[in-house]
Amino acid sequence: MTHELLNGLSSAEVEQVLELGTRLIVPTATSLFRLGDPADRLFLIERGRIKLTLPMQVRGREQEIFVEERSPGQTVGWSALIPPYRFTLTATAPLFEAEVVAVPREALRQYFAANPAAGHKIALNLAVVIGHRLQLFQTMWLREMQRTVEVRSA
Amino acid sequence: MDMLLIGLCLGVAGVVFVALAFGAAMHSESWNSAVQPEIPLVKAAAPARFFSERVPIAPTAPPLQVPIEVLLLQIENHVRLEQAAAESFIAFPTQALLHSKTTSPFVN
Repeated sequence: MTHELLNGLSSAEVEQVLELGTRLIVPTATSLFRLGDPADRLFLIERGRIKLTLPMQVRGREQEIFVEERSPGQTVGWSALIPPYRFTLTATAPLFEAEVVAVPREALRQYFAANPAAGHKIALNLAVVIGHRLQLFQTMWLREMQRTVEVRSA
Repeated sequence: MDMLLIGLCLGVAGVVFVALAFGAAMHSESWNSAVQPEIPLVKAAAPARFFSERVPIAPTAPPLQVPIEVLLLQIENHVRLEQAAAESFIAFPTQALLHSKTTSPFVN
């Protein structure tokens, strides 16, 4: 399993980072974390899929709306590394159980302090993950705005 | 003067004759309709609204609502299609790809 967050690390470094965390099984239709929860761990997906949702009013009722789905090798919960350390989405295992490695923020910080070169690589990988998310949603936002403008000016 | 009176009388007689003939024809028609087989009623076409604001608008049936589960799946499908379109744009940023169309029913 190659994790996007651990790209460029030696196999020994990968082992060290994974040993910082705890393996968790997320049963089907169970939340890994919920919107607004304190974020003190990030999660590396080992198996299964994690669905990210946000609440939206649909026909007068609050419904969880699909935002994104992450698969093995990808990362969820990087709010754990970004103030104010609160999850901004809800994460669930939608159809099948999933397995993740939960890595505590404090353990990562200590590892980064002791291994700055590895910490630098992980920080750059995290920037790629966050940057891609930003570009993706910036593009989606603009497409929706374009449609709104077309409807309003029609 | 006599000619005028004769003409007037003939005119009045003509009008009376035509009125009687018309009345007889109408009576015959209504009598015939009783024995004719029933013809299914055809809904009259809505009157044209040109030049008229007072023509009432026929009430339309409310649109059929899809079940909430179907609607949520449609939303998810829309988001997935939009993400795929956005990924295409990020991989090869052009204005055409930025505004490329998807098959999502939410935008078509």
